[in-house]
Parts: sequence; C-alpha cells; structure tokens
Amino acid sequence: MLLQRDMTADLTQLFELYYESLVRMLYRRTGDRDRAEDLAQETFARAVAAPPNNPRPWLFAVALNLVREDGRRALRQGRRLELLRSDDRPAEGPEEDLERNERSASVRAALATLGERDREALLLKAEGFNYEEIAATLGLSKGAVGTTLARARRRLVEAYRSEARGKHVAS
Amino acid sequence: MSHLDEGTLHALLDGELELAEVREIQTHLGTCSACDSRLQDVKQFLAEADRLVGALEAPAGSSRARPEPAPLPSQPLTPREPPSWESAPELLLPDPPDTAGQRHWTRGVRWAAMILVVFGAGRLIQAALRPDKPRLELTSRDLTRPSNPPAAVSQEDTGKPGSPVARASRPAPVSGAPLGKAAAPARKTVVTQPPPAVVDELDSVEAAAGDLGDSAQDSQTLAVGRSDAAAGQSTGDQDLATREAAAAALEELDRERLRSRANAATASLPPPRADVQPAAEPAPAPRTLEQRAQVYLRIGLDEAVTQLGRPVHVIEAMTPEFIGLTPGRLVPGADPNRPVVRVVYLDRGRMVLLDQQRLRTGQAPGAAAGNLRWTQGDVMLYLHGDPGSDVLRNLQRRVR
Repeated sequence: MLLQRDMTADLTQLFELYYESLVRMLYRRTGDRDRAEDLAQETFARAVAAPPNNPRPWLFAVALNLVREDGRRALRQGRRLELLRSDDRPAEGPEEDLERNERSASVRAALATLGERDREALLLKAEGFNYEEIAATLGLSKGAVGTTLARARRRLVEAYRSEARGKHVAS
Repeated sequence: MSHLDEGTLHALLDGELELAEVREIQTHLGTCSACDSRLQDVKQFLAEADRLVGALEAPAGSSRARPEPAPLPSQPLTPREPPSWESAPELLLPDPPDTAGQRHWTRGVRWAAMILVVFGAGRLIQAALRPDKPRLELTSRDLTRPSNPPAAVSQEDTGKPGSPVARASRPAPVSGAPLGKAAAPARKTVVTQPPPAVVDELDSVEAAAGDLGDSAQDSQTLAVGRSDAAAGQSTGDQDLATREAAAAALEELDRERLRSRANAATASLPPPRADVQPAAEPAPAPRTLEQRAQVYLRIGLDEAVTQLGRPVHVIEAMTPEFIGLTPGRLVPGADPNRPVVRVVYLDRGRMVLLDQQRLRTGQAPGAAAGNLRWTQGDVMLYLHGDPGSDVLRNLQRRVR
C-alpha cells in the first residue's frame, strides 16, 4: 500500500534533512553503497508506518538495528565476505584510486575490530550528533557517551595503525 | 581536583561540557602537566579518528543517484516499469519480517501489480454488470420505429445491406449461426413466456434478433416489443433491476474498500499539528524575566567578573535580579571573544538592562556609541530596557 499525498510533504522533509547523512553513515557501517541505500529506504518506510516524534535519533537507531539484523542474517547465510567487498577491490585506474581504496579497506577493517556500540557511537558522531542525540539513539546515558567515544577513537586509531604496519611488513 | 579521565577530555574537545566545567578543567590543566599531556594525546586521537572515518566516503560515480520521495498517487496505480537504479525510488511500506531480505523494488512492483489486478478486475466486473445506457437508448428507438415490422424480416433480408435490421447499428457483418448460439439463452427465456398465439411471430422476430446479434438483450427487447410487450418487459425489468442491484452492491463494496484503505493510510499519520486547531491550543505561558532579557546563561557575580575581565558595573541603589550572558557585540570595537555581560534589573516592573563588554585593546568604541552607550575604561556599557530614555539617563548617572 502506498502513502497518502499529505504524508509526502513530511516524508520529503525527512528525506531532505536526513537521507544523505543516513546513507553515508550506513555506507561507512556496511561498506556497500547499494545496501546502505536499501537500508535507508527501509528505514524511511518504517518511519512512514510509525512516524517518530524525534526523527533524527529514531531514524538512525532504526537504521543501525536494520544493519545488525542484516549482518546477522548475512553471517548465517555465509556471505559475510560479500559485505566487505564493495570498493575494497583493487580498482583499475590511477594510483590515487588504488591508494584510496586500500586506505578505505584498512579503515573499514579497523572499524570492524571495534565493539558494536563503540563503532555506532563513532559513526553517529561523524554525522554531527551531539552527546545527547548519541545517547538517545544508542540507549546510553549521556555521561557514558564521552567514555564510549574515547574508547572507540583510541581503538580505531590503534587498529588502523596496526593494520597499516601489517600491510607494510607483508609488502 | 583529581586527574581528568579520557571521556571528560573527549567531551571537552567535543564541546559538550558546561561553561563552569570547562573553567574548572582549564584551571586544572594549568596546574597538572600529566592531564595537559593527556589532553594533547586525546587531541591527536580525536583528529586521527575523525580523519579515518571521514576517509570512508563512497567513490564518485559508484552510487545510485540520490533518491527523492516520489509523489505518491492516491488513485489506483497505472502500470509502471520496475524502478531503475537511476530513477527516484518510491517509498514502500515495510515488508513482513520473513521477506525483509529481498530487494525492495521487486516487492514494490509486486504490490503495485496486485493492487492493479484487484482494481482492474473490480472495474471489469462492475462494467460488465452495469446496464449500458447507449444500448438502452438504441433499443427504445428501435421499439418506437413504426416502419420496421420484425415479422417481415427474414433471415435472408438481414444479409442485405439495405435491410432494416442490417441498418440497425451493427458495425460489421457477422454470420448468423454463432450469433444465434450466443443469443440462445435469452431466446429461450422469451419463448417460454409468451402465449401460443404469438409463437410464429416470435420465431421470425427471434431470427431477426439472432442476426442482429449485438447482444442477447437487444434481441430480447426487440422480440418482446413486437410480440408480448408486457411479459418481455417484465422479464427485462427484473434483469435490469437485478443488475442494477448488483452494480450498486459492487459500488458499495468499492466505497467500503476505499474507506478502509483511507483509514489504514491515515491511521499512521502523525497527529494533527497544533497550528491546525489554534482554538484548542492553550494560551502561551507568560515569558519569564530571563526570557525577556534574552540571557542564554545565568551566571554569578564572580563568573561575570571573569567573563568581563574587569569589575562588573552596577546601578547604585538598585539590586540586580540576576546577571547573565548574551551573545553578540555591543559595538564593532568590542572584543568578540568575550560575551556581553548583562545585568538585569526590575524598576517598578519595568526591565532595565545594563550590558557591558570589553573593548579590544586600543579600540575606540566606534560610531555606535551614543547617549546610553558609553565607555568606562576599556569596557563598553549600554543601558536600555522598558523605561523611557529620560528614566534611563537618570539611571545612567548612578552606574558605578
């Protein structure tokens, strides 16, 4: 069933405000642009079915839940590796592209070493969420957000450095 | 103060701490080299982490075009192509959990196709059962035409282009046998109704009706019109009434279906906005003095002195209601790094504001300075509020 026209205005506004940010966060989380867009669509569809009062944390919380569900299903179906493919494959093109892709793969691998909550807090912060919004989205207390982000940032950087060192040694 | 934990330092760098906390931490950092060194560490991690996350951008050209919510029709859908990745995808309702993993656009197409089939079938049935107005008009014309006695019309005549029956609005010649078969049920009904005296005439009329062949209804009406108008008309009326009743029932079903669909769609709508029903909205609460004074943060006298970097000026013999901070600059020469300290008074219910802000070193107050804007040392002052300028000038003389 499709939506009524008078809902379209609200929906359009939500799209305008949050779609790009949501897709970007989902892309960073999944590493697959198409999946990110599909999940964003699904998120907005759910927003239509049950319009949220506080849309931004709600949309991102639903999107992250969808990612988790999707990730679990993918794990069960044994296509985990496919989730990490996307543009990590060496591209045919200028050296800058290759370098950028390698860097993205390293960052994504480092991100994958983080705990679920740490990773999500980091991605939400990158989308401009303040601590209160992060707390609302992830179900944390506001006081715990600083600690969570501190741990996430430190682990990400350390994992990335370790990854980079490993690649350097391997090559 | 104990050493600062990493979370607090991140909150500090993220700008999430209150002003008082910031001041406290700054004081501590000035005296604790360990925490200061840790802060530098945290800054590096924070910057590096932001840079790494920022590097996870989709490569240009690898993604679909940014979708927009497509305008959604409230009427039944027209057939459409499956959405391509380049076009704006439409929003679909969530799917049952067991199919959540499938591609959304294929589900959308399935939904649309199902709705189309249901609506199309309903329309077709309704159209088939509803009596056709043009056909009824044609029948009545034929009935009232006096120069075409159907009894004189033979089966051979119907084949001739100039025959009366052949002229009767038949778009293309059709052979008699199959049409006669098609009209058989109606003919049978008519034959059982009339009295024996009209059987011969009825046969010839039936033959003509079979050739006419547009429909069983036409042939039946013609036969009845020429043989036994009363009996035939009665049967036709019953059929017509049945069909009309069926059509009305279908229309009612259609309306019911539309109502339930509309209810289902509007059930998920957000509650009506407050501005739609201004009458039901409660009267707004009166603004507090703090709101009227447009102070974003109330501070104490000590903090005001710190913020101003100079002693705070007050109006002699008046007790401030409170002191607060307000954004902006009093004059172009004011120091943008220092907020405006606003001392708020109430003079017989009227709000009086004494704003003060440091000027930059060696900076003249600028052209904005006037009677009620003046400098004392390197502090710019501005007295304003509800009272008139005469009252304010009197108060100005008491500013210390």
